[in-house]
Amino acid sequence: MKTDLAIIGQGAVSPAGVGLDALLHGKTVETMVPFVSRPDHQWPVYRVNLADAAFARWQKEPRLRRASPISYFLVEAASQALADLEPAKRGQTGLVVAFSTGCLAYSRRFFEDIIARGQKSASPALFPETVFNSPVSHVAATLQLEGAAYALAGDETAWVAALKTAWLWLEQERANQVLVLSAEEFDSASLDAYRQAGWLKETGTKQRFIPSEGAAGLLVRKAVPGDQKIISQLEDGFIYRSPAQALSAGQRCLQQFKPDLPCFQNAQGNWLADVENKLTGNRFASSASYLGEAVTASTAWNALRAAACLSSSCRRLLVPVWGRTHQIGAWQVEFAE
Amino acid sequence: MKRPVVVTGLGAVTPLGTTISASWEALIAGRDAEAPVEIFDTSGCRCHRAAVASLPPLPGLSPKALSRLPRASRLAIPAAREALAAAGLLGPDGKCLLPILPLSLSTTAGGMAFGEDFLRNILARKCSRLLGPAARYLPEQQVLDLQQALGIEGPSTIIANACASGANAIGHAAEMVSSGLTDCVLAGGFEALTELVFVGFDCLQATTTERCRPFDLHRSGLLLGEGAAFLLLETPQHALERAARPLCLLSGYGHGTDFFHLTQPQPIGSILTNVMQQAARQANIKPSEIGYINAHGTATPVNDGAEAKSYRNFLNGALEQTRISSTKAAIGHALGAAGSIEAVFAIQTLTSRKLPPQLNLHTPLPDIAPALVTESQSSCRLDHTMSVNLGFGGSNAALLFSRNEN
Repeated sequence: MKTDLAIIGQGAVSPAGVGLDALLHGKTVETMVPFVSRPDHQWPVYRVNLADAAFARWQKEPRLRRASPISYFLVEAASQALADLEPAKRGQTGLVVAFSTGCLAYSRRFFEDIIARGQKSASPALFPETVFNSPVSHVAATLQLEGAAYALAGDETAWVAALKTAWLWLEQERANQVLVLSAEEFDSASLDAYRQAGWLKETGTKQRFIPSEGAAGLLVRKAVPGDQKIISQLEDGFIYRSPAQALSAGQRCLQQFKPDLPCFQNAQGNWLADVENKLTGNRFASSASYLGEAVTASTAWNALRAAACLSSSCRRLLVPVWGRTHQIGAWQVEFAE
Repeated sequence: MKRPVVVTGLGAVTPLGTTISASWEALIAGRDAEAPVEIFDTSGCRCHRAAVASLPPLPGLSPKALSRLPRASRLAIPAAREALAAAGLLGPDGKCLLPILPLSLSTTAGGMAFGEDFLRNILARKCSRLLGPAARYLPEQQVLDLQQALGIEGPSTIIANACASGANAIGHAAEMVSSGLTDCVLAGGFEALTELVFVGFDCLQATTTERCRPFDLHRSGLLLGEGAAFLLLETPQHALERAARPLCLLSGYGHGTDFFHLTQPQPIGSILTNVMQQAARQANIKPSEIGYINAHGTATPVNDGAEAKSYRNFLNGALEQTRISSTKAAIGHALGAAGSIEAVFAIQTLTSRKLPPQLNLHTPLPDIAPALVTESQSSCRLDHTMSVNLGFGGSNAALLFSRNEN
């Protein structure tokens, strides 16, 4: 990266509450949810409280009337991140959002209707909301962001690809600032998928895997003198197909950074926590309370939490991003006085 | 573009053929690939036809390995290999000669047929042996399939901007090269027909039960399609150093978001006009210099009307001297792959000077009538061609390709 990115806005929606303060200090409550395939079996999940007053204002937006929870999470997180930007400057704001499963709840409902009631009963109101970029479109329309907009798909590392996209747009002068977001919504079908993957196990003393949901994001622009929180390096593309390859891919990724940088603990409840511990030698400057596994959204929460750790006594942090399906990336965030 | 970007390789699998030459020959001959859908049940739908691709063979893969590949990967891998071969980067073993090659890709549904299988099974309370379908429907799995088949590593970006994604993936790749992030990228899109998506468009009444007639006054809806297409993009210097011959320049890229409606464009198409203007400005050319535009042209009543108005505004007085056609009447609408396949056709038009005809056109929309390619027009002045796409959510994108003078 020839140009550093400055973080100039932040927003978060998580099971710990709405806003950055809740993300940093809030508490989560487990909800037991049955499996689709075995309704008599349940697993704990962290859910966002959609009854939170913060969401009420969005329910009046015509664009969001039929939208699924993921759109509400996104528009709220985006709105927080843009809070300090003058309305007149919003038009030059790029928007890039990373998803893993995206609009899963409506996709499942749409297809379940087809299976249960036949193709003739398919809902024309639901189908457009199943598309990855529908929530992105809702955010752009609701907040009047007229610039470039991308929906990206992938595992946790889609967050790094989104940051890189922001960097590209700023380099190419397509935007004056870019809103980089991630969001996921929980659907009980994902419980079955996680069980198939072997991730839902009681693990004794280790953090067990708890599915989660939410959104978070950063507003970034080209860094100028005086900016305090700076993203100075982005690396991705270290692919793997097996746990052994993941260790080697992670090693190659972390070698791109200065050795012995303090690290933000980013993997907690999934199988990559062991890889992270091995590769970083537990040199964690900080870890945060566990908010569950919301793929790209968890990655974005931890981005905000890593940025919050920066101070004159913690000037630089390496934030690894453990993509749980295919690749590993990492980024570096710095404190400048 | 800060650094020029050249295209050195193309590959495509479309419903008209499993290679570019087969697809192009059929397209120029005025053939279409419309056929009954047999890969899933459509008995409860209004519409029962689509443009379905034949899956090319993948030598070296066992039947078991093939069964693990989603249809999207079966389409993507051969198209990517064709692009690499054309660029002189494919070894005899089907692997890429570069060990690290960034990917900029697009899709809307990924391996959704596996997701459908998974849902069907868990809803039926069957829960054994579902790891494959659960894991392999995600789009990043098709990226892994590509990386493994081509023997490459490196960063990958998957853009899911609905039907504009394919153009976005190519434009994004061009910006990666232009900005100096990398010297060479494989860009493209892939899409496989699936029941969820087919039923979705059917229930919106966006698909037609008649012939697909883009830009016709009596158009009644789109023909769904599928396929994959890839372009190898690199700096001229990178191409020169490996003695590769550039096919053309990727000279401009514009994109933007239309807020009008989730599934309908603004009726006068002003966002699209702005997007095309961005691409022309970046290429430093006037709209009147563009010889051919491969239009999005879905044949839905709302899309084509807005798009036609947008071309009239963008081209201003030059509409009559520009040629426009939508190739979706021949190959169907390949959604996340549409932008990539149509970009390939725009480049083929530039390099061959042959124009894809506008099929099924009986009563042209007055706004665009003088520009539509009739079957009798086989060639024209061509220094620059454009490919345009619009998608759900208001994604608009335009790519501009220019003759390489060096």
